[in-house]
Amino acid sequence: MTTDSTDCCKATDSTASCKACPGTDLGLFYGAFLLRIWLAVRTIQTGLEKYVGTVGSDQPVAIDGKPNGYGLTAATNLKEYALSHYHGVPEGLFKKFATEPLMRLPAPIETGIKECYKSLGGKFSGEKLADAPAAWAKFLEEPVMLNIYNVVLGPALLVLGFMILFGIASRTSLFLLGLLYISLTWGLILIKEDSGIAWLGIHMVLVVMALMLAKYNRLCLLKKW
Amino acid sequence: METPPSSINRRDFLAKTAVGVGAGLVLGTPGLLRAATAGSPSNAINVALVGQGKQGQVLFDAMRNIPGLHFQAVCDIWDYNRKGSVGRVTSLQKHKPKAYSDIDDMLATEKGLDAVVIATPDFWHSPHTVKCLEAGLNVYCEKMMSNTIDGARAMVKAMEKSGKLCQIGHQRRSNPRYRFTLDQLINGSKICGQIVNVNGQWNRAVKSSQNIAYNPNLKISQDILAKYGYKDMHQFMNWRFFRDLSGGAISDLGAHQIDIFNWFLGTTPKSVYATGGNSYFKEREHFDNVMALFEYDTPQGQVRAFYQVLTTTSAGGGYWESFMGTEGTIKISENSAFTEIFKEASPAPKDPSAPQPDKPIPLSWDRLVQRGLLGRKAATWVAPAAGGVVDSRVSAPPEGFSLPGELNKPPHQPHLENFFAAVRGEAKLTCDARHAFMSEAPIYWVNPSALSQLPIVFTPEQLSV
Repeated sequence: MTTDSTDCCKATDSTASCKACPGTDLGLFYGAFLLRIWLAVRTIQTGLEKYVGTVGSDQPVAIDGKPNGYGLTAATNLKEYALSHYHGVPEGLFKKFATEPLMRLPAPIETGIKECYKSLGGKFSGEKLADAPAAWAKFLEEPVMLNIYNVVLGPALLVLGFMILFGIASRTSLFLLGLLYISLTWGLILIKEDSGIAWLGIHMVLVVMALMLAKYNRLCLLKKW
Repeated sequence: METPPSSINRRDFLAKTAVGVGAGLVLGTPGLLRAATAGSPSNAINVALVGQGKQGQVLFDAMRNIPGLHFQAVCDIWDYNRKGSVGRVTSLQKHKPKAYSDIDDMLATEKGLDAVVIATPDFWHSPHTVKCLEAGLNVYCEKMMSNTIDGARAMVKAMEKSGKLCQIGHQRRSNPRYRFTLDQLINGSKICGQIVNVNGQWNRAVKSSQNIAYNPNLKISQDILAKYGYKDMHQFMNWRFFRDLSGGAISDLGAHQIDIFNWFLGTTPKSVYATGGNSYFKEREHFDNVMALFEYDTPQGQVRAFYQVLTTTSAGGGYWESFMGTEGTIKISENSAFTEIFKEASPAPKDPSAPQPDKPIPLSWDRLVQRGLLGRKAATWVAPAAGGVVDSRVSAPPEGFSLPGELNKPPHQPHLENFFAAVRGEAKLTCDARHAFMSEAPIYWVNPSALSQLPIVFTPEQLSV
């Protein structure tokens, strides 16, 4: 843990002219800490929810307190976290974004990627990569930008969330989180989701407030940046 | 697999059908046949699939999750179906089954078969089933047993002569929802009170009733078509519309549901009066819509049942069977969305499960819900708004309830599981050929009644083997 040691009043100073030391203003520290925790929880849990799936299970119906002998079942759906459930952009939104022309790479870049791929011995079957591993195919097939975003979004939320939580380069991690919210906002502008845009706008205000309060941060693993 | 079926001879059957209660006893106690352990060393049941068209595929999909089956051979006269079946089986069990175009070749060649699943067109059911039973195989055969009542009779006789199992594909008989409804709600709790009417229907839209097309490049040669009883490829694809090959819509769709009428009421009807016509599909030999009225004498009293099958409209809520009683109504369907239970807003009967039967304790539907025998569901019939009453004698709206659970398998799977469990000697058939015949026999008289426009009062001979 490090603390700010810039020139400022010590707790014992009685000089009225000196400035309050950032690390010693308890109210501002609490404010910075609460906002940091809030943003971290919001970000981490949002990232975790990208790994959520539903697992159905059928339980025998109980009659007179015992499982029935007929084979009647009642379905129950259980929420489950697993890597295999990962979905960066929810399916419904993904389909909407996939039809957006701005989600496609500019033609010269797309052609360049394909040529590069071919020069490395890769083959195409129509628009599909015929022999690429599935993971690579996800990245390289159109809509390329959306595919990349889909893969990156969840891990990015988790990494930034934990950075903010543990105070690792707080200013930079908050700035990156702000950029991430801007990217989400751009997507929602494309599909005209105005309420979502306003919602993200509130998040941006909170990020900016957190940046303004960053100098009052304590309990940081990496104070620098 | 050698346990013989219980012998119900013709004299016994005549006596029982002459008295409704007797027939009820027979229909109400299905499951007479049980086989010994399957014979293959690994204890897997060696199965042949005969007829691999659409229904054959439905049955195969229902068998995918049944353990201990080995699909040894497939048989279909159409190489398109046959190749598809070989592919599906190979994909499932990782090795190819033997493929045959002719069932006689298959029976002559294949050794070690335990069972055969037959899903050929109706007019082949009886010849194929009889051949297989005579070859010592246990048979699961799709319903309708045959396109003729004599064909169905031959199947019963072959089953009883061979001592092998013959399950008929009235799959609702093994469906937990239906078995629970009959055992616990109708017979156990008697929530319907006295059942006085039964309604059933299968309404299907014109779009779902069109001729089945085929790719001319996949056409079967005329020689083969003729050998197996088809005039041409159109008839092969659309055999359900021809009188020599099928019983028509009342057989295709109605047989399942009229079987439920008979099973739940525990008896067979004493008469039928039907009407039918070609209102839309005028070129078809069979009627495109049929309406039939059956009259029953049950231990509780008279019951009138109405059944309609329409291939020209889906209006009216799909397919279901509704048992309407003085105290409540159970409208049941294989599709849970069509299933509803209503409690009449009238005085309740005695609770048959009450500890002191001599004291008139009302049947408490709330108690049935607490026990888990019923669920709650909003009734679809609601009271008219104030001032909107049509007649002062309009009944109060009933309360809505539901079945407490669902079937979490393909609809045919429990029936096939029952068959294979019986082959292993672990269960009794829920719909052997004898019981299926007793339930199906009245259905063979629906088309004659409609054609003659006359009611038919059944004689014991008409309904007996």
